[in-house]
Amino acid sequence: MPQTYHFMIDIQYKGNVRDPRGETIRKVLVGEYNLPVTSLRIGKSVNIEVEADSPEEAEAIVRKACEELLVNPVVEQYEVRMI
Amino acid sequence: MNPKAAVVVYPGTNCDRDTYYALELAGFTPEYVDWHGDVKGYDLVVLPGGFSYGDYLRAGAVAAREPVSKSVRAYAEKGGLVLGICNGFQVLMEMGLLPGGLLENTSGTFICKWVDLEITDTDNPFLSRFKQGEKIKLPIAHAFGRYVKVGDPKVALRYVEDVNGSDEKIAGILSEDKNIFGLMPHPERAMEKLLGWDYGKNVFLSILDWIRGGNRVV
Repeated sequence: MPQTYHFMIDIQYKGNVRDPRGETIRKVLVGEYNLPVTSLRIGKSVNIEVEADSPEEAEAIVRKACEELLVNPVVEQYEVRMI
Repeated sequence: MNPKAAVVVYPGTNCDRDTYYALELAGFTPEYVDWHGDVKGYDLVVLPGGFSYGDYLRAGAVAAREPVSKSVRAYAEKGGLVLGICNGFQVLMEMGLLPGGLLENTSGTFICKWVDLEITDTDNPFLSRFKQGEKIKLPIAHAFGRYVKVGDPKVALRYVEDVNGSDEKIAGILSEDKNIFGLMPHPERAMEKLLGWDYGKNVFLSILDWIRGGNRVV
């Protein structure tokens, strides 16, 4: 019987790609709230459910979704976590 | 007979009519081709600007996977001429037909203004009417125009001043075979002096020269 598996995908720009949104938010936290924030990068998360016969198969489906559409490997990297 | 140009229209494309008008003014016979369509048989394919699929996920990401985009790929791989303007450039990049990435401007804002540009390659079907190093003006209107360089792209157009944080002030690039040209500025909005400058006209006239010179590939 296939089961539903639930994952969170975390997508971030690669380390060498500038993130202007994160830079701006960091400046606000430092400047307005005096917090010692040394780095802040904003990515996106995708909350996804898939049907599969095993956790391994479910993860493979999610990774395929990332590689086909959800992630642009030229500028982004991602991590998958089952929840 | 005027060469035939396809103007590809995705849901959310909004520069299609300007592009149609510009093509007609330059001497093409334009036709709209929607996202279900096929671009086979045209002399030129233009992916116009706009916000295909509301820029959901990433600018151009969903449009790049539509049926018409598969036909654009087949057309381009046979050597067909493809011009991607603004969102069209983003779509070509998402399709992997041009190298690199286009991300949010470093200013974090949408930028809409005329900018100074330098032509850095004229030995191609799109810019032959310009002189190498010529300075021109075209309007830009984008939030995701920061070009992130990957590899060694064939740069055809650079901003004179940094406007959006693009690597090496890159504003437009050509494919390896120079049959695909993607640029963030809008030549179709610079067709008549009445609206400021008409440098855009030479882009479309260059393409016309190339086709009329018997260089048609597809």
